[in-house]
Amino acid sequence: MSPLPGANRMEQLVESIAERVVNLVLDAIDINAIVGQVDVDGLIDRVDVQKIIDRVDVDEIVSRVDVEKIIERVDVDEIVSRVDVEKLIQRVDIDSLVQQTELGTIIAHSTSGIASEALDVVRAQGVGLDDFTARWVNRILRRSSAEWPKGPEKLLMAPPAPVPPLAAEASP
Amino acid sequence: MSRPPTPADMGRQGNYAGAVTRLVAFAADIGASWGIFTLALAGLGFAINLVTGKQVNLTSRQILALIAIVIWEFVYFAYQWALGGKTMGMALLGIRVVATDGDPITPKQAVIRTLTLPLSFLLMGLGFIGILLNKDRHALHDRLAKTVVVYSWDARAARLRWLAKQEPVPPV
Repeated sequence: MSPLPGANRMEQLVESIAERVVNLVLDAIDINAIVGQVDVDGLIDRVDVQKIIDRVDVDEIVSRVDVEKIIERVDVDEIVSRVDVEKLIQRVDIDSLVQQTELGTIIAHSTSGIASEALDVVRAQGVGLDDFTARWVNRILRRSSAEWPKGPEKLLMAPPAPVPPLAAEASP
Repeated sequence: MSRPPTPADMGRQGNYAGAVTRLVAFAADIGASWGIFTLALAGLGFAINLVTGKQVNLTSRQILALIAIVIWEFVYFAYQWALGGKTMGMALLGIRVVATDGDPITPKQAVIRTLTLPLSFLLMGLGFIGILLNKDRHALHDRLAKTVVVYSWDARAARLRWLAKQEPVPPV
């Protein structure tokens, strides 16, 4: 507080005058014109962006981002509809892709799959006929093979884990 | 495919193989061995013709051809059984020969089995009747060589392969 009487009022008056002056000056300034005079490109050239980036804690920022919310706001259909798939495919190096994915191996697998499937069927038919023949022989000889050994003990494995039923078998 | 491997086929690895599968495998082996022999004879005749310029028909020399076929059949069966316990036909049908206790067949057993195989034929095929009647499905040559024939086909894997290829069932 000022020791002189009326000094307070004087200070308030000076402050209000200064405020008015500043407002008048700001009103008079055309900021757009000033910004227009600034060489923004030159200014940006001087900025060491790498240093700024180095000072940013990206992990901290990312940890604050709610990715789910961002994804919800993205219209994926709209983005996909804008993509020119033809152009995209033309940019794909098919040869390199084939080398990386070993498509040849996949084709070989599918071919061998057909062969093994045919073999499986032949073998399954064989096992079925084996059982059929053995059943009839036992029936004719009026004997039961239930107590007979299934095979050499060393080769008989533990019972296998349950296998999911076939779709056709599962449905009534 | 008409018959996928069923749960009844599961866990058959190591079980005694039945008569039908063994018969089909043997027929396949006879076909394969004759085919290879005929091709080899034709190739040999062609090579002799190329070198000497003379037309030679090896099949017309019956005694020589008979000796060659006997030796060839011996080599075909004995070598393959000694090597992995299975011939081409057996591999096709998913069966293999093992010692009676389940151990891999020895070269000595392979040779004895091959030499005694014709005995099962010479007794009007009665040597094979044990496959139908005996509890361990021994043929005469099996008994003499102390071997048994078991399934080596992994029906469980086959069933899983078959299931994997099925169309997914639409939700009800």
